[in-house]
Amino acid sequence: MSKGLLLFAFNTDKTDYYKMAVTTAKRANHFLNLPVSVVTDKNTDITKYDYKFDNVIIQESDSSNTNVHKDVWINKGRYKAYDVSPYDETLLLDTDYLINSDTLLKPFELYDDFMCHNSTSFLMVNEPPEYINPHSYKTLWATVMYFKKTNKTKQLFECMKMVQENYPHYIKLHNLISGSYRNDYSLTFALRILYGQLEDTSNYIPWNLVHAGKGTVVYKNNNDTFNTEYTVIHDNWKNGKIKKEYCIISNMDFHMMNKSNFMELVDE
Amino acid sequence: MDIQNLIIESKARFNHNQAKQYLKDKYQSKLTFADQGGLWVSSPSLLSQLTSTNDKNLVLLDEYENPVKVDRNILLQKANEIYVSVMEQWHNEWVILEKKR
Repeated sequence: MSKGLLLFAFNTDKTDYYKMAVTTAKRANHFLNLPVSVVTDKNTDITKYDYKFDNVIIQESDSSNTNVHKDVWINKGRYKAYDVSPYDETLLLDTDYLINSDTLLKPFELYDDFMCHNSTSFLMVNEPPEYINPHSYKTLWATVMYFKKTNKTKQLFECMKMVQENYPHYIKLHNLISGSYRNDYSLTFALRILYGQLEDTSNYIPWNLVHAGKGTVVYKNNNDTFNTEYTVIHDNWKNGKIKKEYCIISNMDFHMMNKSNFMELVDE
Repeated sequence: MDIQNLIIESKARFNHNQAKQYLKDKYQSKLTFADQGGLWVSSPSLLSQLTSTNDKNLVLLDEYENPVKVDRNILLQKANEIYVSVMEQWHNEWVILEKKR
């Protein structure tokens, strides 16, 4: 059974996602010893960086989506992972996930055919769990997904495709505030549909997905290529004043929501 | 500016509560393991349950609430090894962070 990582990286005017994918791939090779394939579009100059992916899979990109800042956000088409993955067992990862340990190997031992995160925590901030809306489901996270190629996972990704293609319907159905397409939502809806709107906890990774939020700045503690120690600084507002607080973390993976901060951390 | 100076200049305070949360997040994954067809988190309650009887086999609810028939000694040995080793690492890191101001 072949195992490997799959990354989706479609560049926009503001963000070089391919560069982020190269960084994540190098760290995956180092910490997980797994091959990495990338899905990108024909506009990406794949010769720009000195790194050879296991496979470069060229797909049409869809730039019809924007994020909350109205910037182009090419995140559609994640459902294609099932068809394009060259591996029997795939770890599908966002490019802004900073690998600092071998923790991602663990779910390969634990899961049947699919796993994703259903619980999160934020570095330096206590945030409640995110719900689609107060009367709807708890959000699942597409940041890290494991899948084997089985009938169930095929149906799951087909269902994600159906949700993506009918997203305006789901915006109305779940009263979503933002019209931006999110893979997290599409995964949440698809997995619920697959289980008759019920929940099967065996699809969930049994620990938190850790985020570094946008109001948190992460600094690397040394300039080693594969540095794993960071200082996390957060502005804590109290009685109209900012109090800076910090924490030191090491050997723990986390998801960086601030893309420019991610690039600062991994620039050599 | 190096990190140490940045912390001093900005008068940043070490947040011990967040350090505790970070350690919990970090080590929770390390306490989780698969054995005999079930998913387990090595914890005092699992260890207590495994030591509360002398039966060779035992049916336990795993983390996904599936009843799993296990060889008690095998699971106990594995759970104990993981617990001791992970908690030792957790404690060592906590001792270092606890001294920060």
